[in-house]
Amino acid sequence: MEKIEKQEVKILQTIGDKIWAFFNSLKLTLTVLLSLAVVSIIGTVVEQGKPLEFYAKTYGERISSYVLTLGFHDMYHAWWFFTLLVFLAANIIVCTIDRFPQKWKASLEKRVDVAPQFIKNLGNSASFTVNTINGGDVFSVKNRVIEILKKKRYKIKNTDVSDGAAVFAWKGTAGRFGSDIVHVSLITILTGAIIGSFFGFKDYISINENETVNAPKSNFQVRLDKFWLDYYESGEIKQYNSQLTVVENGKDVLSKKIWVNEPLKYKGVWFYQSNYGMAYDRIKEARLVLKDKKKNQIIGEPFVVKWLEPFKIPGTNLAVNLAGFVSDFGFDEKTKQIYPRSPEHNNPAIQVIVYDNEKPISGPWLFLNYPEIFATIPNTNYDLIFMGYQGLQYTGLSMTKDPGTNIVWIGSIIMALGFILAFFIFNKKVWGRIQKAENGVDIYIGGMINKNKIMFEREFSEITACLKTEVTQK
Amino acid sequence: MILSLMFFDMAYWFYLITAILYIGNWIFRRDWIGSTATVMTFIALFANTMILVARTFESGHAPFSNLYESMVLFVWAMAIGYLVMEFKYKVKVVGAVVMTLAFIAMIAASKLPYRFQSIERLNPALQSIWLEIHVFTTFIGYAGFAIAFGLSIMYLVKNRMEERGAKVSLIDSFPQSSVLDELSYKCIMWGFPFLTTGIITGAYWANNAWGTYWSWDPKETWSLITWFIYAAYLHARVTRGWRGKRAAWLSIIGFLAVIFLYWGVSFVLPGLHAYA
Repeated sequence: MEKIEKQEVKILQTIGDKIWAFFNSLKLTLTVLLSLAVVSIIGTVVEQGKPLEFYAKTYGERISSYVLTLGFHDMYHAWWFFTLLVFLAANIIVCTIDRFPQKWKASLEKRVDVAPQFIKNLGNSASFTVNTINGGDVFSVKNRVIEILKKKRYKIKNTDVSDGAAVFAWKGTAGRFGSDIVHVSLITILTGAIIGSFFGFKDYISINENETVNAPKSNFQVRLDKFWLDYYESGEIKQYNSQLTVVENGKDVLSKKIWVNEPLKYKGVWFYQSNYGMAYDRIKEARLVLKDKKKNQIIGEPFVVKWLEPFKIPGTNLAVNLAGFVSDFGFDEKTKQIYPRSPEHNNPAIQVIVYDNEKPISGPWLFLNYPEIFATIPNTNYDLIFMGYQGLQYTGLSMTKDPGTNIVWIGSIIMALGFILAFFIFNKKVWGRIQKAENGVDIYIGGMINKNKIMFEREFSEITACLKTEVTQK
Repeated sequence: MILSLMFFDMAYWFYLITAILYIGNWIFRRDWIGSTATVMTFIALFANTMILVARTFESGHAPFSNLYESMVLFVWAMAIGYLVMEFKYKVKVVGAVVMTLAFIAMIAASKLPYRFQSIERLNPALQSIWLEIHVFTTFIGYAGFAIAFGLSIMYLVKNRMEERGAKVSLIDSFPQSSVLDELSYKCIMWGFPFLTTGIITGAYWANNAWGTYWSWDPKETWSLITWFIYAAYLHARVTRGWRGKRAAWLSIIGFLAVIFLYWGVSFVLPGLHAYA
C-alpha cells in the first residue's frame, strides 16, 4: 500500500515538474507573445460584436460559419484568446518565481575575495603593475582604488588577503529586480481586468431635462437639471455639458456639472457624457396662433403653450392643452396608432386638445411642415396653426461600475517603477585585486553590468585610466 | 502666410540637407562633412521646434491633435534622440540612416491630405490634459523605435558582412555589429517604457472620457500588438537562439507594426482614434 502511494506521489511530482518546466521557459514567452500579436490582428480586421447576419452578408455562409465557430466576431473574449492570456500569466508567474530567489541571493552575496583569473574572465578587465618606486605598496594602492570607485558612487567592501588586498564595488542592485516588478505589475493589471469583468457592469440611460431616472442596478436616482452645448467662436461644438443631481431617498445628495472627460462619480458608479439630443416623444413648449377661417387672416399674436399645461387663449372661450408629440409622424393603418418613424425631427407633429368653456371639443394632430392639415377647430371661426416648438433636450449617459479599475492603476504605477529600475538603473559590479609582486604591486581590475554594455565599457575604461595615472603618479 | 507652414518648409529642406550631408559623410568620410551635418541637424531641429511653437500659438492648444502635427512631433523626437546618441556614442554613420528616415517622415507629413493637416478646434473628447501627456509619451516611444529600426537594419547588413568575412568599404565604416545591437537595444529601452506609458495614459484618459479603460478599438489593439512584439524583442535578447539576428528582425517587424499603428489604423481601420 505504502509503496503505491509513494509511487503516486512520485508520478504527480514528475507531472508537476513537467508542467513547471513547460511554463518556466523563455521560448514559451516568445511563442505566446508573438501568437498574441498575430491573433490580435484578426480582431482588428474582422469587425467585432456585430449581429450574426452581418457576418453572413460580409463573408458568405461558409466562411462566416468558421468565423463564428472560432469566435472571430468576439475575438478578445474567445476561449482560445483567453487561454493564450492564461498561458502568458502562468509563464510570467512561473518564470518570476523560479528566478527570483536565486537573484535575491546573488544580490545579497558580496564575494570580495576572488581569484585574479575570475577578474580576467569578466566582460571588462585590465591588469597592470606598479613599481615600488612609484609608491606602490598594497595598502595605498587599495585606498586609491577605493577612492576612485567611491567617486563613481559605488558601494564598496574590501578585505586584506594573505598576499595583498581585494576590493568589491557595486551599484544599482535594484535594477536587477526591475523585470520582476514589471511581471508583478502585469499580473496585477490582469487581476484588475478579471475583477472588472466579473463584478463590473456597463449601462446606458437617457434623461430628459428636469426628469429623474432610476440608475440601473443602484439604489439612487439621477436628475438632469440642464443640458447645454458650448461653442467655439467659429461655431464648432466645444463641449457637451450636463448638470446632474443625484437623488437618494428623495433627497438631493450630490450635484455636479459633467462633460466629456469629466464624469460624475457616486458610490463607485461613473456617469459619462455620452450623447445628447431632442426627445422624440415630448417637447418643452409649442408656439401656436389662431387664424380667421373666412378672412384667412392671422388673429392677434402667437402664443406659447407649455407641455401639459392648459392654456386659455386670450379673447376667446377656447383653451388648449399640449398633450402629444412625435418627432417623425407615422400612422399605422392597421392598429390606427400614431408612432414616431424615427427619433429625427423630420416631420414633427403635436397633439392639441382644444376646450370650449372647459369642454373638450377636439384633439387634432397639427403638423409643422403642413400647417393647413386638421387646422380647423369645429363649430368656430378659427383655424389653429402650429408655428414652432422648443424641443426637450435629453442627455445620454454611459454608466459604468468597475471595481477592478483601481487595481489596474495600481498595477500601472508598479509597472512604471519596474521600468525605471529595469531600463534606467543598471547593476554594475567591479572587482579589484591588489597583489604583491617582485618589485611592485600587480593590480587586477574587472567589472560587469547586467545590460547597457557600451555605457559600462566607457565607465570602466575611465576607472582604469584614472587608476593608472593616479597610482603611477603618486 | 501662416508661420508654422513657413517653418515646416524650412525644416523640410533642412532635414533633406542634413540627410544628404550624413550620407556624404558616410560615403566620402570627410570630417568637415560630418561636422556640418551635425550643425545642420541642430538647425533643422530648431526649425522643427519652431513649427511646434508657431502651431501652438496658431491653434491655441498643444500641437498634438492630428496626424500632421504628430508627425512633426515624431521627427522632432527622433532628431533629439539621434543627437543624444551621436554625442554619447560618436556614431555618425548612423545619422545617414536615421536622418533619411526623418526626412521620409517629413515627406509623408507634407503629402497628407489637407483635412489631416488643417488646424482644428479640439473636439470635446480631446479637451484634456491627457491629450498632451498621452501623445507626447507615445511619440517619444515611436521615435525610439524608429531609430532602433534604422540600427537593426544596419546590424543585419553589418552582421552578414562579418559572417561572410566580406569587405565592402561602405559597410566597414558601420560600427561593429555588437555595438549596433547594443544601440538598438538602448533605443528600445527608451521606446518600450514610453510606449507603455502612452498606452496607460491613454487608458486612463479613455476611462475618464469614454467610461472604459480598454475597448479593443483598433488603435488600442494595434498598440498592444506593437507592445507584444517589443516585449518579445526584450525577451529574445536573453534567449538562446534568439539573440542577434532574430532579435533584430523583431525590432524591424516592431517598427512596421508602429507604422501601421500610426498610419495604417488611421487610414484603413475605423475607430475611436479616427482623428489621428
